[in-house]
Amino acid sequence: MNNKKYSKPLLKSKLSLPELLLSMPSTLWLVLFFLIPSFLVFAIAFKTADPSGGIDDTWTLQTIKNVLRTEYVSVIWRTIWVSVVVTIICLMLSIPVAYWISRQNPKYRYWYLLAVIVPLWTNFLIRIFAWRILLNPEGILRKSLIAIGLLPDDVFLLNNIGAVIIVSVYTSLPFAILPIYAAAEKFNYSLLEAAQDLGASRFKAFYSVFIPGIKRGIFTAILVVLIPAMGAYAIPDLVGGVNGEMLGNKIAIRASAYRNLPEAAALAALLSIIITIPIILALVKQRGLTKSTLGNKNSARGVSK
Amino acid sequence: MKNIITKTLTSIALLLSTLIVGCGPSKPTLNVYTWSDYIDDTLIAEFEKTYNCNVIVDTFDSNEAMYSKLKAGATGYDIIIPTSYMAKLMFEQNMIEKLDLSKIPNSKFIDKRYLTNLAFDKTMQYSIPYMLGYTCIAYNKQKLGTLDNSWNVFAREDLKGRMTLLDDMRETIGVGLFYTGSKINNTDDKALEKAKNQIIAWKKNLAKFDNEVYKIGITSGEFLVVQGYSGDLLQVVSEAKHLDIMIPREGVSISCDDMVIPTTAPNKDLAYKFINFFMEPKNAAKNMAFTCFFAPIPEAKSLAKDIDLDRIFPDVLYTTGQLIMDMGKDNKKFQNIWDEIKMTK
Repeated sequence: MNNKKYSKPLLKSKLSLPELLLSMPSTLWLVLFFLIPSFLVFAIAFKTADPSGGIDDTWTLQTIKNVLRTEYVSVIWRTIWVSVVVTIICLMLSIPVAYWISRQNPKYRYWYLLAVIVPLWTNFLIRIFAWRILLNPEGILRKSLIAIGLLPDDVFLLNNIGAVIIVSVYTSLPFAILPIYAAAEKFNYSLLEAAQDLGASRFKAFYSVFIPGIKRGIFTAILVVLIPAMGAYAIPDLVGGVNGEMLGNKIAIRASAYRNLPEAAALAALLSIIITIPIILALVKQRGLTKSTLGNKNSARGVSK
Repeated sequence: MKNIITKTLTSIALLLSTLIVGCGPSKPTLNVYTWSDYIDDTLIAEFEKTYNCNVIVDTFDSNEAMYSKLKAGATGYDIIIPTSYMAKLMFEQNMIEKLDLSKIPNSKFIDKRYLTNLAFDKTMQYSIPYMLGYTCIAYNKQKLGTLDNSWNVFAREDLKGRMTLLDDMRETIGVGLFYTGSKINNTDDKALEKAKNQIIAWKKNLAKFDNEVYKIGITSGEFLVVQGYSGDLLQVVSEAKHLDIMIPREGVSISCDDMVIPTTAPNKDLAYKFINFFMEPKNAAKNMAFTCFFAPIPEAKSLAKDIDLDRIFPDVLYTTGQLIMDMGKDNKKFQNIWDEIKMTK
């Protein structure tokens, strides 16, 4: 519904002066602290480092060639699959939670939302250290899992890729729940009843009416979970094991111990490209969806937004 | 020494203190950039009182982080305490002052044996040695009994997933070099290849390569054997009866952190006074008790009565210990090997 009312004129008309002025501060901010630094990262990737940690004057493709070696493939692959798994688990957990909260009495909803946000009041690193205590080999969780026979006693819960996934899911879950809840709250639940009246099972109604209805929220959730997960540094560093390195850790060691900023920049640029391509594709597809929705005047899909 | 939490907290504290100091009357301020928990607070308070000034301590968690911050243009520090190899590099890059030793009369107390046997900067041209330490092993005596003093403890499969080596290219490859009968600054390809294979062989038994959590991990029982810096491990062992220290016979690296004055220091006179203050034997003794690291000041030994100096820095290390040197162009060799170690499953 909103699409019809607001999006159409916005797409056509040019920005007015007040609008330009209003968006000035945020545009400036993004240019200064996002565009220019990103540009510098890409530029430095075409340099090489000298042994004292400086950057040489000449331009070269050597650094780019260096980071496209086959040895990096395993790290890039690990970074991608871990991030994707984290995103999928987050979605599977956050959709039911968001659904449930949005169905509660409005009087209590905000309390449930507060409960989702409360963990964020504690510092990120302290929460990771808390997980280290929880998953400790001498900790109560592992000991009791072994005692009831759910865990062989040579398996550890900490310092492996599983721990990285668990802690990443834990830290990004609130950021997945919030946008999905925002979408679910606006969802017209009588549509679910209508679907069931028309013969859909409860699951079918949930899957083919509710999920498409909140797809904007899901899309936002995917972005806010996937992107930080791809750039993870602290979590693999603190709970990952000997084979837990991700791209973020590779970048960090090049920028610090190796004193090789160009190679760090080249890897960071590679990471940005890996992240940007799917987003651009998704945005283009969304654009297409919006246009087709607008174009189709008889469409009832506007309701499900 | 290397702890993210302490680092974060100190940065916040520093930020707040800058704000507070900014509002107060204009006392001279001395900005010190060093490792965390590396200077006794009571000595700092005493220095502030004696010279009617404020001391602000900012911390770094690796030489490289400090170096790249300065290279990127950070100024305002009066004293920096980097490790010797880094002090040397900084001097070569003209980032630190040539020292006027007449302004540091207490430099006469520095151990001549340290200067001639080990130091890079034998004449204290640009750096004054602050604290010596070495890399060793802490282990859980209660569970493992007394260990044979060898790096080969990392070959024990029964301790799989419960041991850590440092996440430090030079220190960790250094262990491989020591164990295969080589020296820590060896850049010979064959020797490095052997060291690499040794670390890879041990890797399957490790929980992780770690600089951050091994201190908590060894205390809580998560890890049973950890490689770490002597001062840090001694601090941990002194508080936990079930732990002990082991110094492998194949050799250990030693490191010395030096006080240097950056060329950009706004308050050089006060910086000289600060260095001189900490070279005073009675202050050095007090500082040793606090940090568990070793000040190369013989006069301080007799003053430091209630600390076990044989553990803080065994005398034999003056002859057998090896200082990590910056390898310049050959750093690349270590980096490639370190990448291979990290990526081999």
